[in-house]
This record gives sequence, C-alpha cells and structure tokens, in this order.
Amino acid sequence: MRRFINNIRKHFRYAVYQAKAELKAEITNSYLNWIWWFLDPVCNMLIYTFIVEVIFQTSEPYFPVFVFIGLTTWDLFNRIVSGSVKIVKNNVGIINKVYVPKYIFLLSKSFVFLFKFMIAFIIILLLMVGFHVPFTWQILNFPLIVICIYTVSFGIGTIMLHFGVFVEDLSNVTNIFLKFVYYFSGIFYSISTRIPKPFSTIMLIANPAAFCIHQFRKIFIDGIAPNYIGLLLWFFAGCALTAIGVKLIHKYESSYAKVV
Amino acid sequence: MENAVEVKDLHIIYKGLKKMSIKQSITKFKINRMETFEALKGITFNLQKGKILGIIGKNGSGKSTLLRAIAGIFAPDSGTIDLKGNSVSLLSIGAGFQNKLTGFENIILSGLLLGFSEETVRKKIPEIIEFSELGDFIYKPVKTYSSGMYSKLAFSITAILETDIMLIDEVLSVGDIHFREKSGNRMQQIIKDESKTVIIVSHSMGTIKDLCDEVLWINDGVMMEHGETKTVCDHYEEFMKNLKQQ
Repeated sequence: MRRFINNIRKHFRYAVYQAKAELKAEITNSYLNWIWWFLDPVCNMLIYTFIVEVIFQTSEPYFPVFVFIGLTTWDLFNRIVSGSVKIVKNNVGIINKVYVPKYIFLLSKSFVFLFKFMIAFIIILLLMVGFHVPFTWQILNFPLIVICIYTVSFGIGTIMLHFGVFVEDLSNVTNIFLKFVYYFSGIFYSISTRIPKPFSTIMLIANPAAFCIHQFRKIFIDGIAPNYIGLLLWFFAGCALTAIGVKLIHKYESSYAKVV
Repeated sequence: MENAVEVKDLHIIYKGLKKMSIKQSITKFKINRMETFEALKGITFNLQKGKILGIIGKNGSGKSTLLRAIAGIFAPDSGTIDLKGNSVSLLSIGAGFQNKLTGFENIILSGLLLGFSEETVRKKIPEIIEFSELGDFIYKPVKTYSSGMYSKLAFSITAILETDIMLIDEVLSVGDIHFREKSGNRMQQIIKDESKTVIIVSHSMGTIKDLCDEVLWINDGVMMEHGETKTVCDHYEEFMKNLKQQ
C-alpha cells in the first residue's frame, strides 16, 4: 500500500505530462481540433435521440440529457476497462528501457478520459439549460459519483492490465463482455421503469456502470439525492479491486518485459 | 574504491510465461506451463565506481538480459543485484518514444521516467536539442523522423541526462560519420568522468579494447571469465576462432 502511494507520488508528474501531451497530439492533427471533444459526444447523443425517439417511438423525460449522461458515463468506464487490457503491450518501448510501475500507464490514460468526462459535464449543464431541466442543489453531489465510478473503473483496469499481459486474446473477451454490460446499463432506456421490479433493482445494484448512471440522472434530471450508501459501498469495492490489482502488478510486473 | 554494482549469483529464467490464448489455456492447461529457458546461470561480479566494464559473448548468450536486469527491468529469479542506491539508465537502440508526440515532449517524458524532475530536464533541454542536431524537427512528431534522427535523439537524451550508472547496449554507431564521431567523443567524456560507472555491451572488439577497464565474458548464460581487458579479449577471440573451425 505504501509502495503504491510512493510510486504514484513519484510518477505523478509523468502521468500528468503524458496525458497532456496525448490530448495535445489528438487535436493538433485534425482540422476542427478541440471542437471534436464537444462535437463527438454531442453527435453520439443526437444519433441515439433520433433512433429512440423517431424510430422506436419511445422516450424518457428530457431524453437528450438522459441519454447523454448514460453515454458519457459509459465511455469513462468502458475506455478505462478496455484500454487497460493492451496498455502494457502499447508501452513496450518504455517497458524495455526503464522500470516504471505499470499502473502508471493506466493512471495517465485514465486522466485523459477523466478530462474528456469533465468536458462532458460542461455539455450536460449546457444541455440542461437548452432543454429547460430545472437545476437543483443536488448537482453538487456530482464529484462523489465521479470518484465512485472512477475508482471502480481503475480497480477493474488494474486487474485487466495484469491478465492482459499473459492472455493474448483477453481483449476480444473483454470487448464482448463489455458490449453485454453496455446493453444492461440502461444507457438509452430507464432500467427502473422498463424492467420488472426484482430484476431492475438487481441490475441497478450489481452493475457499477448502471448504478452510477442512475445516480447521475437522479441528481441532474430528477433533482433528488443519490444513494449515498450505495456510492460508498461501490467506492470501497473499487478500492478493494485496486488493492488486488496493484498487488498482482507488484508481484508480477518484473516478468512482464519477458512476455511482451 | 567502493563498489557501484554488486551482482551475486544472478539467475534469470524465462519460464511458463509464454503468452497464450484462452483456448490454449483450457486445452493445454499443464503442458505448456513449464517450458523454461535459463538465460543467465549464476553471474557474479563486482564493479567499482568509475570503472568501465565491457560485456562480450556471442549472440544469444545473455548480454542484453544482464543489462536489463541491472537496469531493473527484469527481477532476478534468484541471486541479487545491488546498485548501492545509484541511479541507472539503459541506452539502447529503439528507444521507447511515442510516435504521436513531438521530440520535445518525448525528451521531457524520458527524463521524468529516468527519475529527473521536470525542472532539471527543462534546464538540460537546450543542450539535448543542440547535441541531437535536430533543429526545428524537435517540435515535430517523432513519427516524422528518419531512423537516424530517431537514434540521434535517443542517444542525446541519455548522454546529456547522466545517471550514476550508464548501461550501453550496442549504440556506439549512431547516425552519420560526423555524429558518430561526436557521440564517440561524448562517450569518452562520460567514461573519463570518475564518478560515472559504465557497462557496455558490444560486438565490436575495437570499441571494447579501446574503452573498457575490465571485461566480462558470458557464453550461453554462463560466466566464462572476468578480468583485465586484454587477457579476456584474447581468450574470447581464440574461443570464437575454434568455434568457427568446428
């Protein structure tokens, strides 16, 4: 545990600089550069709104905001988890040159996604204004939910990072599994109203992505307090997963370079 | 003189760590597991501070593995490596640059990874840029570099950001004749610096004989000889000649 904190402290600057450089590289090579960070999620939202409202003829209150919250939260979770599988392989050049605690790569990647998530937060606020969603003080609970989903994603990510080194086709399996979880996270439908009672409760509690998306919608759209106990429990679960993952990495990371 | 590097009975084994697919792990659960290959079989040596050690041996004898183990990239399977708290860096061909980022950003990232503070790296950057002769290319993404520019930059970073112990893996021939001369001079400078401990892996007997105070000869992971440059090199050359005749 102490080793983990020391390592993070020692390499924090690296992780931040790497994340910044990556974000910069992303925009310098495109025409609309940073506008993409806004355009990308908004276009996604428009597509889903079109499909659900026009083609399926159903809707939820404030649907564009509703689906936008679902999509961006899912993006954060999905990118961290699926990105971690190949992260050691992608940094093989560095790994063969110098010793770095391997979760630093994940940390730096997660900063990139967290930054994009923050942009999405701004868009949520703009959308709320545009669609006349009433603002309430509950919005201030936002950081709590972010910490919760981030910790859980990071924890799962550290474990995937470890197994991703040794199991070559883990990324295929993860992608299929994530796709499955995606459709069960209530991104473009409301779990609590569309799915009969005992199942909907289970889905909302057992799936961290669905749980956090639901909490976000509570504070932004419904204006009611999030489930604090649930958030705390998932936060602890995330910490436990991180502890397991970090322990695995500490134990085996010196042999990663032999495999990749 | 105090020792800068102490390696004791070092073994490095590549075992059961073969990558596999999920299908393989189900169907061949036990068979694949125990494939082992011992790259280093008990290496023991001490190196005094400020000395230059050359490591020689034929291809696949474990020289690079040894360097990586000293750099902390591999953990020893048994035995110990003690660097006495000295900082260490490995200079090798094909440095870990990130292609999308500019040379400038890669310098800072490499520096941070080597354990320098951002301020130190920033102070040294003009020197690195000048030494690498990249000019304005330093602000372009590394993927636009030619292979010569790439290795020049890699060399410059490690040569300017000096650590206590420098490990050099076959890079004394970088770039064109002009840069080669310059990097050679720079190496001489580092090597002459009494506070720097250097370990060189090279197939060029000329380089080894010119630069090294002592030589370690490894053959198939086994330590053959460690001693004065001339004696060990002579024995090694004789050995290789016999090998050819067989």
